[in-house]
Amino acid sequence: MPQVKIIAKNFMDMVASLPAIKLDLLYRNQFICEAILRSLPPLAKKYVLQMLYIDIPITSKSLQEWLLADGSSKHKVAIDRLIQLRVFEVIDRKKETTYKLNSTFQTNLRKHMISGGILPREPMPQSVTARLPTSEELDAYAHEQWECFLLQLISSGQAEKSTSFSDSMMRIFQRGLLRQRDKEAPRLTDSGFQFLLMDTNAQLWYIIREYISNSEEQGVDQADLIAFLLELSFHTPGEAYSLDTLTDDQTTMIKDLADLGLVKLQKGRKESWFIPTKLATNLSVSLTDSSSRKQGFVVVETNFRMYAYSSSKLHCEILRLFARVEYQLPNLIVGAITKESLYNAFENGITAEQIVTFLQQNAHPRVAEKLPSVPENVTDQIRLWETDLNRVEMTPAHFYDEFPSRDVFEAASDFARMHNGLLWEDAKKMRMVVKAEIHMLMREHLRGQNK
Amino acid sequence: MASAPSKLYADDVSLVVVLLDTNPFFWSSSSLSFSQFLSHVLAFLNAILTLNQLNQVVVIATGYNSCDYVFDSSSDLNRSFENGRMPVMCSSLLQKLEEFLIKDEQLSKEEPEGKIKSSLFSGSLSMALCYIQRVFRSGALHPHPRILCLQGSPDGPEQYVAIMNAIFSAQRSSVPIDSCYLGSQNSAFLQQASYITGGVHHKPQNLDGLFQYLMTIFATDLHSRSFIHLPKPVGVDFRASCFCHKNTIDMGYICSVCLSIFCKHHKKCSTCGSVFGQAQSEAASASDKKRKTPET
Repeated sequence: MPQVKIIAKNFMDMVASLPAIKLDLLYRNQFICEAILRSLPPLAKKYVLQMLYIDIPITSKSLQEWLLADGSSKHKVAIDRLIQLRVFEVIDRKKETTYKLNSTFQTNLRKHMISGGILPREPMPQSVTARLPTSEELDAYAHEQWECFLLQLISSGQAEKSTSFSDSMMRIFQRGLLRQRDKEAPRLTDSGFQFLLMDTNAQLWYIIREYISNSEEQGVDQADLIAFLLELSFHTPGEAYSLDTLTDDQTTMIKDLADLGLVKLQKGRKESWFIPTKLATNLSVSLTDSSSRKQGFVVVETNFRMYAYSSSKLHCEILRLFARVEYQLPNLIVGAITKESLYNAFENGITAEQIVTFLQQNAHPRVAEKLPSVPENVTDQIRLWETDLNRVEMTPAHFYDEFPSRDVFEAASDFARMHNGLLWEDAKKMRMVVKAEIHMLMREHLRGQNK
Repeated sequence: MASAPSKLYADDVSLVVVLLDTNPFFWSSSSLSFSQFLSHVLAFLNAILTLNQLNQVVVIATGYNSCDYVFDSSSDLNRSFENGRMPVMCSSLLQKLEEFLIKDEQLSKEEPEGKIKSSLFSGSLSMALCYIQRVFRSGALHPHPRILCLQGSPDGPEQYVAIMNAIFSAQRSSVPIDSCYLGSQNSAFLQQASYITGGVHHKPQNLDGLFQYLMTIFATDLHSRSFIHLPKPVGVDFRASCFCHKNTIDMGYICSVCLSIFCKHHKKCSTCGSVFGQAQSEAASASDKKRKTPET
């Protein structure tokens, strides 16, 4: 059994949790094999490549011989991952375990290496599509759609237009992110705040994961959806592909994806087509590869002032979470990171690490090349303010006073110590503080003592 | 110039610059035919590009008289994959290679007999280093570069100075030079290059399985190299060649100012112009005699 717990933080974990038969079906698609290969840790990729043309099983001992001493932990992680995704098949002989590549995976990957992959659809000729949007226009469109969706998600009332997601869909996305009490406007939960501070890829994955887990109820097969998404990530951004090449399920999916900003739908005179954006092609990239080269926009100064060169409402909302926004100009948001604003953020469940990571990842290109991109005194102070709140630790307890005699006091304190509940005692004045959990036991003990 | 830290990239994003030996004198006498060799290499390049979406591959052809870029995976032409990545890559690479070989042949002049038919390795190594410098200067985010040399031609001692300069500059920029020697003898230059820059040198025993050698040894990204056993250098030949006649020598004269190596006694150093002392006897004059032996 794999020893690594599956935390479905990203797409590949979800793929790994599919049943074995479905996974074998998925591996018939060359692009999925490539996507899975890309998502493996580097050592696992090496093993797959080395075993690609070896037909006999390899003992785990020989695999260990490929390693140097430093690598044993990484080796374990790699092997576990490979077994989890059923890329490696384990054959337990009597003496030792051997590994072999999954045969469907192996044949398809070999074919992919030698003859390359051919997409099931070709881009449409220029004559039909006329003028396609440029890559900047496409990026702007994707960005706008995604922001609009996020604003609607946190129902901040600032969204200019609403997406065509049904209310029930939005509620499913919001589950876990928003909490609504009666007669109050919905408030963001801890995970909601953390969600906002994640980078776009991670947010996208969260939404898509919810979408896919929900699709079973809508009657669409999960494996098909995953296969389509992975295929989509190999299309060329900016090229138009005809909608006629999609199945019905895929057509419904495309409309939802257009709302998220993954594709752009356009109509010609007779035909309609979709154009994948960069958000779609980044789908197969794992979470650690944040190749989102989107421009950072935040400059943090050593005097705790913050200048954000952005006109997006979403950015303003996010910055309001932990900083005091002072002025908002057409292209600039001026604010300051203060103790009050940070305490506010900490109360909402955001950690200092998240704030610092957010600032570092979104640093303006002018400061991004400097090390550190956020001044150290600011990051240190944020962390110190966080530990300020953790200075005092509270435990519910009971206070005992006025013991009749020293013997009773000492018996009681031994009793409390035996039950691991003694928090504090003052032998001179015969007082003690005992944890609330054993309060009842103490009472009975003391009553017994009295008699 | 030190490379900017590529911390925002995952560890195994790499840029591989492949130096392909296209010396017709070597390939005509090799047991592996050039077309078979190319099929191994093309599959290997495709494997590198499959490993990571952000990996880049650049191929430079080392000809007899000239060198040129033959393939760059990050150029716009090569990015649209309607018909699949492999056919696009193959057609563009093979076409450029053909054009290069025709041009290279036209540059051939009459050569004296007995000259070692070596390829212009120093030229392509320098071109690779220039490309990598450009990548370093393009910003904070860049893949980890390394150079892979697929050479079969024998070493040309007249290129010694240029190659050593290139190796030292690669060492300073922390660019490992891997080398795979396909010929029958040993190549001192390749061994020294890999030893000094921290790369891997290997001479495959069975050239039919070249693809498997490439996948096992040379497809390892720089991050994983600290965890995997790779062929270690055994008996590197450190002999130099003299600056005046370009012969490989074991013992010679060295200028104490600039460390240039000469096989015969000279009055003046040809590199730095310093005059060698004439007052003492010829045997133990101002230029040191240094014993150079191959290290075991």
